Amino acid sequence: MRRLLTIILLLCLAAPARPASQAVVLVVRADSPVQELDSVAVRKLFLGLPVLVNGSPLRPLRNRSDALLDEIFLQQIVAMSQSNYDRQILIGVNRQGWLRPTEYDRASDLIAALKADPNAVSFMWQRDVGHNPQIRVIRVLWSD
Amino acid sequence: MRISSLLLALTLLCSALARGDPWQGELLLMPSAQAVGTFNRQAPVTEIVDEVVQLDTLFSVQRGPFRLFGEYLLSDHEGDLERFQLGWQASQDTVVWIGRYHQPTSVWNHDHHHGQYLQTSVSRPFLDEWEDLGGILPQHFTGMLIESGHKVFGSWRLRAAIAGGLAPIITTKGLEPFDLLHPDHEHHQVGFQARASLHPGEFTETGFGLVAATDELPTIGLAAPPLPGLDHVDLKLIGAFGIYAADEWKFLATWYHAQTELNSPVASVSGSFGVGYVEAERRLPHDLTGFLRWEGSADAGHNDYLKLFPLFVRQRNVIGLRWDFVRRQAVTLQLSDTNTLDGHFSDIRLQWSAAFL
Repeated sequence: MRRLLTIILLLCLAAPARPASQAVVLVVRADSPVQELDSVAVRKLFLGLPVLVNGSPLRPLRNRSDALLDEIFLQQIVAMSQSNYDRQILIGVNRQGWLRPTEYDRASDLIAALKADPNAVSFMWQRDVGHNPQIRVIRVLWSD
Repeated sequence: MRISSLLLALTLLCSALARGDPWQGELLLMPSAQAVGTFNRQAPVTEIVDEVVQLDTLFSVQRGPFRLFGEYLLSDHEGDLERFQLGWQASQDTVVWIGRYHQPTSVWNHDHHHGQYLQTSVSRPFLDEWEDLGGILPQHFTGMLIESGHKVFGSWRLRAAIAGGLAPIITTKGLEPFDLLHPDHEHHQVGFQARASLHPGEFTETGFGLVAATDELPTIGLAAPPLPGLDHVDLKLIGAFGIYAADEWKFLATWYHAQTELNSPVASVSGSFGVGYVEAERRLPHDLTGFLRWEGSADAGHNDYLKLFPLFVRQRNVIGLRWDFVRRQAVTLQLSDTNTLDGHFSDIRLQWSAAFL
């Protein structure tokens, strides 16, 4: 019995620790007029199509601060490959003069831009939101 | 006051209504270079230009629901403000434009405009050819365009566009649209266009639709018109189109039926013709795309209106291969075999095209 307990203990120690669960959330400034956005509206927004709240267009900010976020953006938010996304953005500018989402490589810059604009919408790791009272989470876009 | 200046003034005026919203802008450059070689030439007229280097510049400035949008095409043969529109996003699905626009009944031009990089083939179907390259249908208008989309039948989308504006005139050079930068004082008349299409989803290009247009085209200074004393042409157009776009395959088909009436102070001559195309595109490994296009017409040889356009293509077969060799750059090789009203020729085209945001 003691040997069995020792084996179980060793197995538990040898097993890799399960990482804390991760989630990507849709965020706006705390006082933003945006209350909810369904997945179709989020996809439209990040493809550059106009999405209006109270008559004002929302402004998408694309978070490119890490490669995994980019992958989640393409798979879960716009649901297309990078080359197809590229083409859709070009088509939008060519046909309608739609603006592509502004891109940020650093999370701190993105948060600053988000805080500066009540109509800005972005996405980030939930852990990066933390307990920041100036940012409000609209919904979870992805979790592992 | 020139219309372009008026639009700029209106933009500043509208921007005051969007107080609190930031100014935002976008610039897209689409350069291309093309060489054409013509052989088996038995037609008196083939191409207007055999090589073209051009830069298509698109700019968009937005504040709140207002947007100023323009397209300027600069080439070794011309420089022209192709589109210049002030838009108001009236709702999420409806935008109202005033200014110079590409008429919405041309499916090809409405999708690609002047951006060579965004079209798979080097040349466009002749029925959608621009006015200054011998095109037979008016493409550039100055007036108002309303574009809208609505959900119907569950997840289907109805997309619609209606427009009305100053139509081109017919001169010895062919159709000549109203020029915003060098406005003329000829008697441009108002033409109207409408387009409606159904699509199985919000984000798909796949769909089918109908188009209709009516234009009065005054003639100016024609030396030998098909009808003595020709004063103007009434052109009425109805058409249908379909697009199937999947990951590997894309098919486009369009057919127009045109009714023409040539009018002089003492006589009128009526006629009709049909014109259309079918294109198939196949994405291949190694970033290659192969394409085939058939262009055809019906009753074109008997139509007096088409006699005003010596470059008119009665029938054309096109085959080609495009290679997207790096991000946003492509080279395309295309072979065509063309029958005009007066003869026949073949050509080979090589094009480099790119897009820079």
